Amino acid sequence: MSKGRILVIDDEDIVRMSCSRTLSPEGYEVKLVKNGFDGFALLEEEPFDLVLTDLKMPEIDGIEILRRIKEKWPAVEVIIITGYQTVDTAVKSIKLGAFDYLEKPFTPDGLLSSVAKAFTHRKKT
Amino acid sequence: MRVEKSLHSLTGKLLLTIGALMITGSTIFWYFLFKHQEKELLENSEKQAYSFVDYVKKSTRHGMITAQKLLIQQTIEAIGAAEGVLDVRIFDCSGKIAYTSRTEDVGKILDKNSPTCRRCHASSKPTDSPGVTVSKTKDNIRILNIVHPIYNEAACSTAACHFHSGGKKMLGFIEANISLAHHDQSLRSQGIAITMYILIFLFIISITLCTILWNLVSTPVSLLKQGMERVAGGDLDYTLDINTRDEMGDLARAFNAMTTDLKKAKNELVEWGNTLEKKVEDKTRAIQMAQVQLIHSEKLASLGRMAAGVAHEINSPLTGIVTFGHLLLKQFPPGSQQYEDVEVIIEQANRCSNIIKGLLGFARASAAEKAPTAINDVLDRSLNIVRNKADFFNIRLITEFDGALHRVKADASQLQQVFLNMIMNAADAVDGKGTITILTKNIREDDSDFVEIEFRDTGTGISDENIEKIFEPFFTTKPVGKGTGLGLAVSHGIVQDHGGKLLVRSKLGEGTSFYIKLPAYREEL
Repeated sequence: MSKGRILVIDDEDIVRMSCSRTLSPEGYEVKLVKNGFDGFALLEEEPFDLVLTDLKMPEIDGIEILRRIKEKWPAVEVIIITGYQTVDTAVKSIKLGAFDYLEKPFTPDGLLSSVAKAFTHRKKT
Repeated sequence: MRVEKSLHSLTGKLLLTIGALMITGSTIFWYFLFKHQEKELLENSEKQAYSFVDYVKKSTRHGMITAQKLLIQQTIEAIGAAEGVLDVRIFDCSGKIAYTSRTEDVGKILDKNSPTCRRCHASSKPTDSPGVTVSKTKDNIRILNIVHPIYNEAACSTAACHFHSGGKKMLGFIEANISLAHHDQSLRSQGIAITMYILIFLFIISITLCTILWNLVSTPVSLLKQGMERVAGGDLDYTLDINTRDEMGDLARAFNAMTTDLKKAKNELVEWGNTLEKKVEDKTRAIQMAQVQLIHSEKLASLGRMAAGVAHEINSPLTGIVTFGHLLLKQFPPGSQQYEDVEVIIEQANRCSNIIKGLLGFARASAAEKAPTAINDVLDRSLNIVRNKADFFNIRLITEFDGALHRVKADASQLQQVFLNMIMNAADAVDGKGTITILTKNIREDDSDFVEIEFRDTGTGISDENIEKIFEPFFTTKPVGKGTGLGLAVSHGIVQDHGGKLLVRSKLGEGTSFYIKLPAYREEL
């Protein structure tokens, strides 16, 4: 029995792998996609509890993904991962309903703690 | 001062003109006066001559009527001896000298062509009226000659002698020659006296005119000329000392006013020239500094842009290193060599991450969200963060905040970053034990209000060699791995972006003070 289903959207292989290798051993079911389109397609097919998305990506950026998910699947929590944090985007993300804002390079503990908080939050609501 | 006298000068010309006019006028005056005098004298002489003849007539009348020839002759001789009388002659009608003061001439008959006879007998019809002529002798003595007829009277024809018949109109005539030498002498004396008077008058007038012209015209004009030469020569302190109330005084006052104005204008020009040089220097320095700062800012900004790009690219692989490092760590027992090796990998990856974060500070400096901010509060928050850190346990933190500190339009989180950086640097400088003093106060610089924040430490100080480089990115004196060398560069960028200045003053062995000056926020009234 998995702790929950997590979708990771990032154009970087290494980030996807890091998330997968951190979260899978802890009992989460993790799916990895390279971009927003694949992510939306998968979201249409399967239910997810949490989406981890990179902010800066070539086709659809993290803010846009966040906006669409909150439109279509409001119950799904979103954590934004970014390699380049600015106050602007952080404020924007939180306003649009992101649960957390994670800065690269994150540690496995940092990621797990943020994800765990997101699930706790999800259970409460 | 000597004033050159010249006929070409104003005084010379005036004197010449006035002198010529006066000499001409005086000469004409003298001439007419002399002529008038001469005429008067002559008229008087004529009157005297008539009186004289009348006197002769009256003196001899008794002798004539009583026919006493000797008495008449004696009377004539007596009269003729009088001073100024040359001779007196009484002629009868035939031209014979009946009586004369010169006895040797008695009985002589004058020719009708003699000058005496010709007076009346010049024309065919002789005149019987008295006449006077003036002639000159060889000795240049003027002689007045008077010829006066003796008319027949009742007493003449009825006298006992019956010498003259009653039918005749004229019985004879009296001729007298009177010397005018005395008159001429008097005339000459008068002429000399008048001439003397006129000359003295001319002399006095000339002296007076000269003095007046000299004092009123020549001297002031010459002073003015000298003044103008002095002023033209550049001596603008020269003033004319002419205080008269006339036009010359006005001219001198105008001249002095002009000199004063000239001096003022010159001084202004000189001052302007002097300050211009300084102004140009100042401006050049300011421009150079601005240029240096601009280059610096541009350098930092491009560094920021590059950092933003690099951060995105580098942070993903770093995420992999950190994550897989941690995964690897779990496979070794703590304390083992492998465990420690992997820890080093993770530590160094984190160091890379910190460098990237530092670089991102440049990119963020330009994206500030500024709002009126109370600096003291930001400092308090910054101090609260560091106070409980182990590094600060042995450091005395002193704060001297100005309670009436102006607010500053700033991005509080960026300022906090700057303040934290300053405090951390100070802590490093005192090496964990010492005093850090933080002061705030309002200052006024170049007519603008500023807020000054001073971070003073009792550390080792910064060498002159290093102090120039401390704001350069990546410059650090801390051991490798401890500092990125970006803190001050980023702080500098942030302070500049807030329109402020970040200055440093340091003395080796005594400590360092960093000053942040931020423009005070003006509340719109």
